Amino acid sequence: MTYRIGSAQGFYGDDVTKALPMITGGHVDVVCFEALSELTLAILQKDRLANPKRGYTFDLRIIAQQILPEAFRRKIPLITNGGGLNPQAAAEMVRETAAQMGLAGLKVAAVSGDDVLARLAELQAAGEDLTNIETGERLADAGNQNFVTANVYLGAAPIVEALNNGADIVITGRVADPCLYLAPLVARYGWAWDDWDKLAAGIVCGHLLECTGQVVGGNSLALIDRTNAAELPYLGYPIAHVEANGSFIVTKTPDTPGCVTLETVKEQLLYEVHDPASYITPDVVANFTTLRLEQVGDNQVRVSGVTGKPRPDTLKLNAGRLEGFMRELIFTVGWPEAWRKVEQMKAMLNELFHQMPGIERVEYSYLGMNSLYGSLAALPDDPLEIIVRVMFTAGDMDTLRNAVRQIMTTGLSGPAGMSVSGTTVGAEPRYVIGLWPTLMGRNKVQPVIEYFVV
Amino acid sequence: MTKRLYDLAYGRAGDKGNIANISVIARSPEAYREIRAKLTADRVKAHLGNLVKGRVVRYELDNIEALNFVCYESLDGGATRSLRIDPLGKSLAGALLYMEWED
Repeated sequence: MTYRIGSAQGFYGDDVTKALPMITGGHVDVVCFEALSELTLAILQKDRLANPKRGYTFDLRIIAQQILPEAFRRKIPLITNGGGLNPQAAAEMVRETAAQMGLAGLKVAAVSGDDVLARLAELQAAGEDLTNIETGERLADAGNQNFVTANVYLGAAPIVEALNNGADIVITGRVADPCLYLAPLVARYGWAWDDWDKLAAGIVCGHLLECTGQVVGGNSLALIDRTNAAELPYLGYPIAHVEANGSFIVTKTPDTPGCVTLETVKEQLLYEVHDPASYITPDVVANFTTLRLEQVGDNQVRVSGVTGKPRPDTLKLNAGRLEGFMRELIFTVGWPEAWRKVEQMKAMLNELFHQMPGIERVEYSYLGMNSLYGSLAALPDDPLEIIVRVMFTAGDMDTLRNAVRQIMTTGLSGPAGMSVSGTTVGAEPRYVIGLWPTLMGRNKVQPVIEYFVV
Repeated sequence: MTKRLYDLAYGRAGDKGNIANISVIARSPEAYREIRAKLTADRVKAHLGNLVKGRVVRYELDNIEALNFVCYESLDGGATRSLRIDPLGKSLAGALLYMEWED
């Protein structure tokens, strides 16, 4: 007897309705939805600043309206970190939606405690210097203190508790992606919190599932010659069949496009991984170098032999601060003398930028030539066309709007044949959010669970 | 045709902050022996040029015949501040696999 976990979301905006065939087809015992990237919380913060009842992912409305009724009827719990910055408001919305649909008795759990934005000073006073783990800079020494988010990566424990208390849907803030998937396994099998090998197996399982399409043939270089591109929008999302000893089979929703092979599993196994012998999560440090992969059937890859080491004393904290805004313009020049025109255009733009004190960074790249691969690319001597992408930043939006206006005044005065993409002229500045990854003592974080019952 | 690392391996790039990782997964046991012996971190760093400002660290996974390269300061500040057209560095696996390979 195995326990079957479905994964129906890998980012904010994924097609969460792919949970439906898993649920209505009787293929899963629980479905997890992973919604948060490093950038997502900063996006949600803008929503919450505009309306204190927001700050969660809108996909949760689809989950509540379309998926929850089917799951609740079959007693299949749903787990998501799409509560983002406001799991309580998300839970209240889900409770109201469920009440309108007459789902009497439905229990929503909201897990919070990850948001430490208001606690940054207190934490530093308590001895956490919150040093940036990428740059080594102490938080107190940072010149820009304009933090808009600060969230600790929580582990699986509060989700396990909510499931054990009968929650039909668990909505969290920043829980580490693979821990969403570990939680139902711990709840189902009662794995001890120091049974490192089994916890690590659950983490590897979660890691393989958490990017949905990426383990069933999406973003797969290995399968590029076998991909039916017209089927890609309809890939069946992944499901794991997990045994009590922690070994599991990765498969996908039956009778749907896509495939699960050794190649797709290897590609996803190393996605966003640093040291594969020490994949650090809040609950365990997983070792990917001992595991074995075996194709045991069509679209069935068995994973066994995962080992684990004790969890760290610290938790990762990612803070985001507003650093300013960026703006993009795309210019075109054509033959003859395309490179000379590009140099003239850049000289003209640089002159204008120098007259604007608020402009900070300016970057040029040539689309289709070196915008992806930088110095790897050999530039052609005498191209027929060059597409120049100009990116520039400033601390405020008005500086960027004025810059665009100034640049546009040269419309009839620039190099011969120069043109500009109209949609980029009309676009709005975009936020520049700087991330501050750091660590803090796990003893200073206390997850909070609240229940909302229909 | 020029032989490239892509003939021996496939891979995928991922981002965490300003750090990209690039997996290089061998297409055969023979290919793994070859890339394990020859595809050093220094060589990867030199090949990627101005895409990677920081150091490159190599990890080996003999169990799945793959290498993992962690490239520091390689995403122009990271997805949320990068001015690159590919701020997540999704294309970086291709950049590495483009490496010319001599038998």
